[in-house]
Amino acid sequence: MKIKGIVALVLGWAVPGLGHAIQKKYLRAALFFVSIFAMTGIGLVMGGKVYPMYLEPPHNVFQVFLNLFRKENPLTILAFFADIGNGLFYALSRLFAWGGGELERATFEFGTAYIAGAGLLNFLIAIDAYDIGAGKKK
Amino acid sequence: MIFESHLLSMVVYALFVALVMALIRRDDTKARVRYGLLLFAVMTAGALAFGWFMFLFIKK
Repeated sequence: MKIKGIVALVLGWAVPGLGHAIQKKYLRAALFFVSIFAMTGIGLVMGGKVYPMYLEPPHNVFQVFLNLFRKENPLTILAFFADIGNGLFYALSRLFAWGGGELERATFEFGTAYIAGAGLLNFLIAIDAYDIGAGKKK
Repeated sequence: MIFESHLLSMVVYALFVALVMALIRRDDTKARVRYGLLLFAVMTAGALAFGWFMFLFIKK
């Protein structure tokens, strides 16, 4: 694995498009950033939910493991892995308590799908940035 | 309220997904445009077709 590729992967995941920007693919970087930002933003405005890793904060290492089995619905861990793909936007949503999910709204499900979809797309974007950095792709 | 229409929400979602996938999966501009439009059309038409298919099983 090449260092340049790994740096692009990590930066691309943290900030959508940054992995391409550091490799001078500015147009692609801008389009990726706008797409992921717009999808996440629309999802949040629609009342979508950003799923956290834990329902309750862990107090010790053992509880980190135990919490995996104490969720309301174990399937939400899959939603968490999709959401965390948003990188910076996921961190901001946790920091400012965005994405609590407004279940009473008709747009809740679609909003949640927008946020999860943006996260999954950003994983692909980060992997694409790795491929360029590692010289597997132009 | 933003995007109260599920159809509009789906179309905008398909647009973003098609844009990102076209940029990732194709290398030259012409191929990107063609692939992006095809992907967008398939997702939109597929969702509409599946929506009408589900209409067959509606409870009366």
